[in-house]
Amino acid sequence: MKARTELLVSAATVVLLAAAPAISPLVHLDVSIVSEVLVTAIAVMSVNLLLGYTGLPAFGNAAYFGLGTYGAALSVKYAHVHFIEAIVIGTVAALLGGLILAPFLLRRRGIYFGLLSIAFGQVFYFIAYRYTDVTGGEDGMQFPRPDAVLGGAHQTISELGFYYVALALFVLVVIAFRSVVRSPFGRTLVAIRQNEARVRYLGLNTDRFIFVALLISATMAGLSGALFGLLINFAYPLQLDWHQSGYFVLSMILGGAGTVWGSLVGAFIYVIGKDIISTITPLWQIFLGALFVACVLGFPRGILGSIAALRARAPDTFTDDDVNAAFDPNAPVEVGRGA
Amino acid sequence: MIEHIGPQLFNGLVLGAFYAIVAIGLSLIMNLTGTINMAHGSFMTLAGYLAFTLVSRGTPFWFALIAAPLILVVVGVVVERTLVRPLYKREPFYSLLMTFGLSLMAEEIYRLIWGPNGVPFSPPKALAGAAHLGFMSFPTFRIFIAVVLVVAIAALALFLTRTRFGLRLRAAVQDTEMIAALGTNTQVIYAVNFGLGIFLAGIAGVLAAGMLGLSPTSGNALLMPAFVTVIIGGMGSLFGSVVGGVLIGMAISLTTLFIPAASEVSMYVLMAVVLLVRPRGLFGEEGIFG
Repeated sequence: MKARTELLVSAATVVLLAAAPAISPLVHLDVSIVSEVLVTAIAVMSVNLLLGYTGLPAFGNAAYFGLGTYGAALSVKYAHVHFIEAIVIGTVAALLGGLILAPFLLRRRGIYFGLLSIAFGQVFYFIAYRYTDVTGGEDGMQFPRPDAVLGGAHQTISELGFYYVALALFVLVVIAFRSVVRSPFGRTLVAIRQNEARVRYLGLNTDRFIFVALLISATMAGLSGALFGLLINFAYPLQLDWHQSGYFVLSMILGGAGTVWGSLVGAFIYVIGKDIISTITPLWQIFLGALFVACVLGFPRGILGSIAALRARAPDTFTDDDVNAAFDPNAPVEVGRGA
Repeated sequence: MIEHIGPQLFNGLVLGAFYAIVAIGLSLIMNLTGTINMAHGSFMTLAGYLAFTLVSRGTPFWFALIAAPLILVVVGVVVERTLVRPLYKREPFYSLLMTFGLSLMAEEIYRLIWGPNGVPFSPPKALAGAAHLGFMSFPTFRIFIAVVLVVAIAALALFLTRTRFGLRLRAAVQDTEMIAALGTNTQVIYAVNFGLGIFLAGIAGVLAAGMLGLSPTSGNALLMPAFVTVIIGGMGSLFGSVVGGVLIGMAISLTTLFIPAASEVSMYVLMAVVLLVRPRGLFGEEGIFG
């Protein structure tokens, strides 16, 4: 995309999001659902960084997401911290989780990485599930949304207020995410996805790059989880479960892997679709499963990826650094990659 | 407490044999095609329900134990040919996502057909009692399970090492292009291999339904330990899966006895320790998935 078009589209998206609380009642959507879209989009971006850009099957990001939620929930419930502090604590908890797991995950690539991240992610699920005294176990734990305290002034956070907090953080994350993936560091991640061996031959320590990418991803997922906890005022073990990781991955594919705004599009379809369909029929899970199957088989480049592919047909807009192209079913799989 | 250790160790062995046979099924499919079959647990549940339906219609348990896995193989091969096959040429995580979607659908469909709660599925009367082994007594059905699982694993090992088709299958794991160039139809190998993995899942599914209960999510409960088994035993090694399964089974049953709250976490601790010492798992082979 040309720089000016991109700026225009991005600005239009942000303006639209800022106006969303005014629009959503017209289509009978609660503003908290729109908040959920933004919060989920941050988690989807965390998966996008690992899977979309670096090519690592990140099927364990729900662990960091849930750590964010439980970090916020436990600190509010037991230490009575305020709103901003709860977000920070949740995010840091996820970062610490990432620091613990990263040395293990780093050891392997390809589907083995996927297996390891699923398996290690489940540890936190079982801890939350088992330590009933502290976490409420399977039933989860409810906690009040704390006030924000800035310079001694208490401010209660309404649903609308929460939305704008989420929007501000979301925009910050998008800007940071875009700078990261456009930076030399981000370019190296894409190079690792294309051919890790060559990157190594160039003298770069790919483990170190992946380590940093994992920590960034965990932090983003944690921020998303903390916000999600504060949004619904509830923490439950299934947030840490690998199913949740799968939903993030699906949303990423749906929106367009390896695209900056694809995560928002994917999260939007997932969250709104779930909200609408689950009110119509209790068989929501069948639709979700069918969506997985259909998307993987027929639509692997996702919405934004497919749009980019259509635009790239015109010779003057062709770019050879289209990260999403790797998700094209016709793209040749490089021999030796993923090993 | 101490007098419980003997039976609990045997329990661990039976549990370990379950994990091993599920892990072997997963490994077979994963080694050849790079497909992580997230629907493996759902296939097991389906086998359990098929056997339950057969038995409640009056067929003997023995017949259901063979018939349910065979029906399951047909379902499995159809799924493989229609849904999994188009993904072989793509990155492996696509098949993971796709089978995950299948398992979500399957779970809901089981709920629709057989109800959201567990259904009673008990072993036949001949296997219902307890066997007295002198130093301890033990449920006959569990001994039966152990025997069936050991026989199944041994038969698979013989098939893979002693028959022409088994040898071809193992050769295809090492170099699919070469085996295709030598005139073997690799699509047949893919289908049979998938069916084999599903057959093992079917046997495990029927037996697990009798021992651990049967509900729409019961098979999925065995999936995560099976993953851990594959990681501990090492990808690409069937023997490793057996050792890994038994190790985890023991770890889980002993922690259940002494620190019940840590019973699930124990296998992950074991996995972390193994990975620190041997990143490829205990018997992981060089070259297969790095």
